[in-house]
Amino acid sequence: MNTSRQSEDLPQSELPAGEEREVRRLDRVAIDGAPIAYVLVLAAVVAALAFIPIPISVVIGSGKNFPMSQSIYPLVGWLLGPVAGAVADGIGALVGVIVAPHTTTSAPATVLGAVLGGFAAGAMTVKERRAWWWAPLAGVFVIFYGLYAGRAVFINGAAARDVLLGSFINWSALLLFVLPTRVWFARLLAERDLKRIGIGLFGGTWIVAGLSHLATGTIVYAILNWASEYWLVFAPVAPLEHLVRCLVGAIIGTGAIAGLRATGLIKPTYAAY
Amino acid sequence: MASIIAALKQASYAYPHTDRFALKDISLDIHQGEFLGLIGPTGAGKTTFCLALNGIVPQFYGGRFFGHVTVAGLDTLDHPISALARHVGVVFEDPETQLVAHSVENEIAFALENLKIPREEMLPRISRALEAVRLEGTEKRHPQELSGGQKQRLAIAAALALRPDLLILDEPTSQLDPVGAQEVFATVRELNRTLGIAVVMTGHAAEELAEYADRVALLVGGKLVKVGPPDAVYGDVAQLETCDVRPPQVARTFYLINRLRGAESPVPVRLAEGMRRLREGPAIEIAGCYAKCVETHSDTSASLLSVKDLHHVYPDGTRALRGISLDIRAGEYVLIVGQNGAGKSSLVKHFLKLLTPTEGCVQVDGRDMREWTVGALARRIGYVAQNPDHQIFNATVWDEVAFALKNRGWRKAEVEGRVIETLSALNLLDARDRHPLALPRGDRARVVIAAVLALHPDVLIFDEPTTGQDYRGARAILDITRDLHRQGKTIIVITHHLHLMPDYAERVLVMGAGVLLLDAPIRQAYHAVDVLRSTYLTPPQAVLLAQALGNDVPLLTPEEVAACVTDKNVKRET
Repeated sequence: MNTSRQSEDLPQSELPAGEEREVRRLDRVAIDGAPIAYVLVLAAVVAALAFIPIPISVVIGSGKNFPMSQSIYPLVGWLLGPVAGAVADGIGALVGVIVAPHTTTSAPATVLGAVLGGFAAGAMTVKERRAWWWAPLAGVFVIFYGLYAGRAVFINGAAARDVLLGSFINWSALLLFVLPTRVWFARLLAERDLKRIGIGLFGGTWIVAGLSHLATGTIVYAILNWASEYWLVFAPVAPLEHLVRCLVGAIIGTGAIAGLRATGLIKPTYAAY
Repeated sequence: MASIIAALKQASYAYPHTDRFALKDISLDIHQGEFLGLIGPTGAGKTTFCLALNGIVPQFYGGRFFGHVTVAGLDTLDHPISALARHVGVVFEDPETQLVAHSVENEIAFALENLKIPREEMLPRISRALEAVRLEGTEKRHPQELSGGQKQRLAIAAALALRPDLLILDEPTSQLDPVGAQEVFATVRELNRTLGIAVVMTGHAAEELAEYADRVALLVGGKLVKVGPPDAVYGDVAQLETCDVRPPQVARTFYLINRLRGAESPVPVRLAEGMRRLREGPAIEIAGCYAKCVETHSDTSASLLSVKDLHHVYPDGTRALRGISLDIRAGEYVLIVGQNGAGKSSLVKHFLKLLTPTEGCVQVDGRDMREWTVGALARRIGYVAQNPDHQIFNATVWDEVAFALKNRGWRKAEVEGRVIETLSALNLLDARDRHPLALPRGDRARVVIAAVLALHPDVLIFDEPTTGQDYRGARAILDITRDLHRQGKTIIVITHHLHLMPDYAERVLVMGAGVLLLDAPIRQAYHAVDVLRSTYLTPPQAVLLAQALGNDVPLLTPEEVAACVTDKNVKRET
């Protein structure tokens, strides 16, 4: 129980008289090292943001907007870690599609995208023993992309070039996830400088929200099966929509991380900040 | 001697990311059935002490912990918070942040449900808890429908339903008006006496703690400086003032009398004893000091803020203001007092166009409010709201203060100069890079005040600026208001802390149930005890001591009473 940290930081004269004790969380109410209270609070935030539509989207969903919650799926993963992040995003998205169904097209697709988004964000971190988690996840997203683009090209006969242009945000996210950029952006989240954190959040959100969008889009495409001509329409608009998603994620995330650090609340075991 | 319910042995604690110990080598036993008052200046470690008793420190916050804390025989580092919660109930400062349910009974049931108490046991516990805090009949009401004092009593009931051995109350009355505070103190004392629950209460309410506590512990800089009966701790006025802790006014009065007489007799710390000592003392010649206290005040300047037959009804039908008429002149220092819900904040929000009159008219500088935009008023009138957290939205103290200046298009050098000047004035320069919400409540309030002051408005409205402040912090804020007043600014302060205001305010508006009960100079207003009591305000002890002297002596402060009693010149600032 006792530790030998006593002599680490303070001069002997300033050390307290009592023996130093090991500080542990003894409550079992945690998910993968993230207190259940944090998970529930962030799930509630995701659900609340599902109410707020950002009026830019013509890509998926209702054709008018996308919910602001999409912007913070990655943030939740970075704050809580992969498992707790996926749980919080999943619960939040599930509640969101029930209480704000007008901001979603397919409830299962939305929840799946949220869960995978939270997990992918958490898997970007470089904690030892989990450094390889990204690899099988990347495989899953490669399969999703195969289904998404394959359906367009081989079943619906869309031009491969049009599909590549229309799905730029998805394959670029996948590429950045596979490359070392995944780690670079994750490392920026742990920096002290808020501007660098903002850059990490922007780049990370591009990756994770793009992957989340890929999972959602694959299911929605299977349901709606939109015409081949739409892929070209998506080409200029989807990146714009994604840019807004990333900006919102970066702004909210920078404030949240700055606040969490300042308040000194105990950090979940696999948090990236 | 009763058995020990909580024990701290050489307990020390440092929060994460700091080498400073919030608690240092604390050794203290708390006995069953004891009422322990915990006092100290802001940042002394009072809240950390409370959190250490239920394991939140260090289990939730992390950091470094030395020594041992046991509650009901359980070591707080070896047992989970949920296990400790069965023995320790905690009530925090702000009742609003503790109430989460949609009905009073659900509020109390919440903690019981979390501890898996069977339903058949839960229902009688809810009834008994409500009965103990005298909230029977409110079971189905929404907690937000309750008054401030009732909300805090509900929070106590929720803690009480767990049948704790130890009830911790961290500044439970600082957000309440005097009557709400009295309700809470009386309730806690009764629970302590009848149920034998040990109580630890922190706070700056010196008069009440002197009255109710069995022992008082003085904490300064994380260290336990003194523990003893209230007479021993509050009676040592010199030590308290060295530690920036305000003693009860009656203690300070007799301390000053001793000093002026060169005597060393023990000072009373309770009002009744002080009154008795005054009555039993030698007859006092008071005519001289009365003459010195007569005020002269001329009202020749033009009316700046004018209200005529103002009524305001909120959308839910609440009649907040009923026919208020008054004029506030440029350069006045006005104090607005009254019970919670008297309409004080509603009145000043009309000056900012945050509310519009239901009936009547409001004028600023002779122009009807309809001719003003909110933006134009904001440049003219600065408003520091009651809850500082509602006005904080930047990531650093510096950015918070600089925000409005930048939005006005000021150049960088000008912004820097003004921010440094303002932060220095409020002793916040060292905290410039910190997140405002990471600061103690008292410092957060000063950040908001700094953000408003940086704009140099002509009129400043402070809504409860001293809430959550220790004596030194409160005086520092009020000293700033006095400096601004001397610069010709118009100052309006809303507060329940009447004892702080005699050195500052000139005129008092007493409000009750949306009506202006009295508009008078401060001496007259403070001695209108019946009017104050009709709006549930308690006059400062010095006023009551002065009235005990007889002959209608309008003294306001311990200094004035002591000088009068000792036939010395009255020292007061004008």
